[in-house]
Amino acid sequence: MKRHKSVHKMATRFAGGFAKYLVLIFIFAFLLFPVYWMLVTSLKTNVESYRLVPTLWPEQLSVEGYQTLISDGKFLVYYKNNILVSAAAAVLICFISVFAGYALSRFHFKWNVMLLATFSFAQMMPVISRLISLYTILRKLNLTDTHLGLVLAISATQIPFTVSLMASFFDGIPRELEEAASIDGSGRFYTLFHIIMPLVVPGLLAVGVYSFLMTWDDYLHAITLIRSTDLWTLSQGLKLTYLGEVSDWQLINSASTLGTIPMIFVFFFFQKYMIKGLTAGAVKG
Amino acid sequence: MSGKKKGFNIHSRGVGDRLFCLLLLLPAIILCITFIIIPIINSVWMSFTDYKIANLTQGIPGKWNHFANYIRLWDSGKLQSAAWITIFFVAVTVLLTFIISMTLALILNSNIVGARFWRSVMMIPWVIPTVIAGLLWAWIYANPYGLLQYLVSVFSGGEIADFGILNNQETALWGIIIAALWKQIPLMALLLLSGMQSIPDDMLEAAKIDGANYLNCLFRIIIPHMKSVIAVTVSMCIIENFKQYPLFATLTNGGPSGATTTFAVLSYDEAFVNYNYGSGAAVTTVWLLLMIVVVFIFNRVFKRDDS
Repeated sequence: MKRHKSVHKMATRFAGGFAKYLVLIFIFAFLLFPVYWMLVTSLKTNVESYRLVPTLWPEQLSVEGYQTLISDGKFLVYYKNNILVSAAAAVLICFISVFAGYALSRFHFKWNVMLLATFSFAQMMPVISRLISLYTILRKLNLTDTHLGLVLAISATQIPFTVSLMASFFDGIPRELEEAASIDGSGRFYTLFHIIMPLVVPGLLAVGVYSFLMTWDDYLHAITLIRSTDLWTLSQGLKLTYLGEVSDWQLINSASTLGTIPMIFVFFFFQKYMIKGLTAGAVKG
Repeated sequence: MSGKKKGFNIHSRGVGDRLFCLLLLLPAIILCITFIIIPIINSVWMSFTDYKIANLTQGIPGKWNHFANYIRLWDSGKLQSAAWITIFFVAVTVLLTFIISMTLALILNSNIVGARFWRSVMMIPWVIPTVIAGLLWAWIYANPYGLLQYLVSVFSGGEIADFGILNNQETALWGIIIAALWKQIPLMALLLLSGMQSIPDDMLEAAKIDGANYLNCLFRIIIPHMKSVIAVTVSMCIIENFKQYPLFATLTNGGPSGATTTFAVLSYDEAFVNYNYGSGAAVTTVWLLLMIVVVFIFNRVFKRDDS
């Protein structure tokens, strides 16, 4: 009787384990197959893509899409613009978040609480609700259709989150360090730059990479604030140039692949910091 | 020297501390005020005025127009329809994202082979820019030649031969929901997983020794323990989906016949396609209020559950 029961238990455990892997594979197929499909389509000729029965692997490898993108020049301009804008925004965001995060972590004045509340409210705002007036304001400042205006606008969007993220990294550094430094007679700025800052480099990396990824993702700011085609960013260029009534899917998928690969590399390279940062930000609230 | 010694003591908040703190915060405050706070206030004001392209180019301030923007939007039925579509989209997407992410997190948290590897690879859709995600799904949904159309025709035995998920009023929104799920599951699963990992192991062990089955453990120990993480991630997800625009822009642009016109699409079209900025601002104001109400209710319900 006892033996029978344990066999039964083992069977259910085995079935449970099997079901677990089955669900896992199913979810991962959903998450990863579209990425594979993008890559494979970029390597197929259009004639092969437009077959009624799709092929799982290209019968004839073709890099024509990539060649067209590189030789027509436009794509590289969008790419360069996007790298420029995102990198500038990431640097600006890091710079601002380090100072503000430090202030919020170390000082607890009444207005800091108010500021945090305002920040979390600001984070909720849909971009479009701001864009209409942002466009009018930037026009008055002569900043529409410039990368500077775009960088400032997209940086402001990320600041509320990155500041509180940075603050949570500073929270992890003992206050005694500053007290000791101030007893030794070092000034506030000296303490911040030479003693505290080196300790939050992982946090700074997390904020920087996160900002780069998030600003790379921007689409709305670019399409409303930027008009000149030679200033377009990647998302904007992809949508406005390549997606039309008759789409060249090999070209689009090649462009998508090129727009994705650097992000994947950046993420995997800085993964350790990113995951730490993301989870710290959310788990802390 | 003794003054400096007290510099970082919380109990002696000197003028120096205040100035130092303010100085550090200043860049963030300036940027947020100019690019977020002022635009929001300005946009709410604009929604009560007649503000069109001429006002913008000639710098004429908008004129108060007695709620005409709101009345026109309401009478045309556009506002109500956008509200329902937005709420449906948010509710379904958030619910499904949560269920699938939770399942994924639970699986990754059990002793499976290569959990760390799966966790990293899982993040790929999150890293892909939203517009590219839209293009990627647009290709899968393409009619004709899309993968989905082929799969549907195979599984229906050739009965449904040209299925275009985005061309049909009833299915178009589902097409976007699938793309949104694909993009958002990774981050939520990652956050839920990290919340799960903070549950003490001995607690689950003790429950197992006491004979609790898996579902008991899940609902009595795991979920209650993760309450705050769930609250944060779900409200993040609600906000994220309320704001969703790029997927709509790349996949349907609000069509077919307005079936996927959410607040985001409607306000964008009013402001930047019809150049009626006042009307666009009216849509965003209603949108904003609705979002605040939803997030508020969500947090309330969650808090009440707590006690």
